[in-house]
Amino acid sequence: MTGGTRPSPIAWLVAPAALLFVLFFVVPFGVMAMMSFYSGNPVTNPNAFATTRHYERFIFDTAGIFHDALWSTLRIGLVTTVVALLIGYPLAHWMARMQSRLGHALVLMAVIAPMLTGIVVRTFAWMTILQDKGVINTLLIQWGLIEKPLPLMYNEFGTVVALVHIYVPFMVLTLTGVIGRIDERLEQAARSLGAGRFRAFVEVTLPLSLPGILAGSLLVFALSISAYVTPSLMGGTNVLTLPMLIAQQVGTSFNPNFAGALGVILLLVSLVIVVAYNRILARLSGEQGMA
Amino acid sequence: MSATRNKRPLDAGHAAYLALNALLLTFLLAPIAIVLVFALNPTPYISFPPVGVSLRWFGKFFAGTEFMNALWLSLWVASVVLVLSILIGGACALALARGNLPGRAFLTAFFMSPLMLPAILTGLALFQAYLLSGIGRPVWGLILAHTLVAVPYVIRTTLAVLHNFDRRIEEAAAVLGASPARVFFEVTLPLIRPGVFAGGVFAFIVSFDQFPVSLFLVVPKGETLPVVLFNYMKFDLDGAIAAASMVSILLALSVVLVLERLIGLKAYVKL
Repeated sequence: MTGGTRPSPIAWLVAPAALLFVLFFVVPFGVMAMMSFYSGNPVTNPNAFATTRHYERFIFDTAGIFHDALWSTLRIGLVTTVVALLIGYPLAHWMARMQSRLGHALVLMAVIAPMLTGIVVRTFAWMTILQDKGVINTLLIQWGLIEKPLPLMYNEFGTVVALVHIYVPFMVLTLTGVIGRIDERLEQAARSLGAGRFRAFVEVTLPLSLPGILAGSLLVFALSISAYVTPSLMGGTNVLTLPMLIAQQVGTSFNPNFAGALGVILLLVSLVIVVAYNRILARLSGEQGMA
Repeated sequence: MSATRNKRPLDAGHAAYLALNALLLTFLLAPIAIVLVFALNPTPYISFPPVGVSLRWFGKFFAGTEFMNALWLSLWVASVVLVLSILIGGACALALARGNLPGRAFLTAFFMSPLMLPAILTGLALFQAYLLSGIGRPVWGLILAHTLVAVPYVIRTTLAVLHNFDRRIEEAAAVLGASPARVFFEVTLPLIRPGVFAGGVFAFIVSFDQFPVSLFLVVPKGETLPVVLFNYMKFDLDGAIAAASMVSILLALSVVLVLERLIGLKAYVKL
């Protein structure tokens, strides 16, 4: 309206952010991709040569751990996503349909408060609950329900429980927005036509919230496949995921080039998810614009 | 008539619905409550049920030099990140909303992308870049890395406020003879301030609780609190971690309250 389509002087305010993002985001990811195709550090080591051997090492997997790590990363991500959806949907529905503003604010706070607690802290909380001498096993033994502690931790089960707790708020927030935009009168109409509360939900609200389900699921999946702290503490030595493998390559094996190749592989998987997520969000806001 | 007949089964269903949600809320909040219990329980190892109340673990946490150095480093880094991300993110949001930039949608998605890409990869990529350029792992490298992942939050909250406010207020000021600079400082800035500040609070927390980006960028003896806690937890699981966790949680909760007072939490429901 004021400046037509020409950039106004205010556009220059984008410069500091652009500089930061180019120098500390675009260039580093380029460096990571480049390092993944070198045998060593090409700056300090004149003998470093271009090679695809890091990718070959991953693809042929003679050690027999890399493919397993990739699969367990994807498996943990998938299970976490499904459970987070099952837990997140009722909460999101409750919040979106809540009449009382105070109630809404309280539930919202309860959902956001864990989000503002660090990942390390929340993983610690789950360790105290699920370990052999943790809250659940102690109580079950005291009540005489079991004799030996159940293996709740140092496996994929414990990893998934803690990951669900950490990422369910993202699912709830995504779904609440979508469910809140569905006209409640549609459900009321279905019920006045004789459908029960449950049937009205399954046949009206649930299908309409499908884009939110998809967006929230992609978000949680993307977050959980890149988790490092939780699988390494909750999984112990029994769980090995791609991010744990990357940290190993940097920390103990000091092979930043192979770490770079693993990083590129994880990046490609995430990019596919991110693009799909953005497509869905774009379509969502398009629908909102038409309404 | 039919309404009264339907009432009973409906209420049972509704009760189940409420009970389920109460259960789910418990799942969300109980772990935090349990950390508090362990922080106050004096036994040398994590054990349940608690046998008493003591502040010994808070004492151990606040007396440990390693913990304290890490806490101060984290607070210092987070404070600098707060200031930097407010300046950079606030300016960027203004440019995106008011600058008539070509490719606005793409640029917005680009500036949000650190939130969508695995943070551990951002850390790894920066580690590689610092390694290759030979700058090592200085604190400013860590600060700028945190700023990179914090700026999107400021951009998002500021954009939310900018989209919601009536541009005609600015136009009215201009029509009444205010210079563009005066419009900016006396109209636009005060209106977007809550959004920028709220984003800054998020930025502080993102930095203070940051782990994956820090992991490869900290040096021994120069580790931030989450990294120190993580390393400690790999070998020891005592109340000191619970006490440290409580300190972090209290900090986060006070920040939530500040947020709520500043602009209300509703603005964040949209992810």
